Amino acid sequence: MLRKELIGRESESVVVKIKPEEVRRFAEATGVPYNDRVPPTFVGTLLHASIAGVELPIVGMIHGEQKITYYRQLRIGEAISYKKRVKDIYDRSGKLGKMTFIVLETIGYDLTGELVFSSSSIIIAPVKEEAQ
Amino acid sequence: MKRLSDRQVSERLPVRKWIPTPMQIRQYAEASGDFNPIHLDDNYARQAGLGGVIAHGMLLMAQMAAMLTDWIGDEGIISKIDVRFEQMVRPRDTILCSGFIRARSEKVLVCDLAAFNERDERVLSGLAHITVN
Repeated sequence: MLRKELIGRESESVVVKIKPEEVRRFAEATGVPYNDRVPPTFVGTLLHASIAGVELPIVGMIHGEQKITYYRQLRIGEAISYKKRVKDIYDRSGKLGKMTFIVLETIGYDLTGELVFSSSSIIIAPVKEEAQ
Repeated sequence: MKRLSDRQVSERLPVRKWIPTPMQIRQYAEASGDFNPIHLDDNYARQAGLGGVIAHGMLLMAQMAAMLTDWIGDEGIISKIDVRFEQMVRPRDTILCSGFIRARSEKVLVCDLAAFNERDERVLSGLAHITVN
């Protein structure tokens, strides 16, 4: 299902406005004070840019690593254009058996085209040997 | 109070204690849009081989970020936060998020991050860059 050919494949760009009520709900759920500065991990909720051929969640998948870089503070009310890209796919065997590692990158710009954040997730999913 | 710009290498960050509840995990699923049933459905999570529901990794990472933002106040921003999820976190675990300053330049504090559960297992490791205003 997750073949190497997917490496480099991108989503369309998705434009979202960072809405106060969404940030408030996120702040309440995570237990952090609510103010106009968007909590750093809020960008993890930008899930609407889908990549053809990468259907998430995959059954049995877990989140291995997450990296987020900000080039400046993101604030409530801003509009962000973001897209996702398959940066890498590889298999590895470990204590959980043979697993596929998928590295997904998300890049966000503001509407002037200035880079605001980049993030990278490693998703680990069990390899399903397909019956021939 | 000591300003961020006066902080020195090897200083420890104030620890954040976190005890996730099933209610909080559900709330986070709704706030984040991540409804993967391994976080919400105990039977499903058992069948997936996880031994029961686990908290979202991103909810744990949010606690780490909160530890940092509490400490930074408005004197700077988190310009980078990179983490590895090392063990699963379950409802009612007691998690302590901690960190210390590993290195610094005039404008950037590099912090090592770690979170442990009550069994002293490391559930997260990582690093952050704090850029001082």
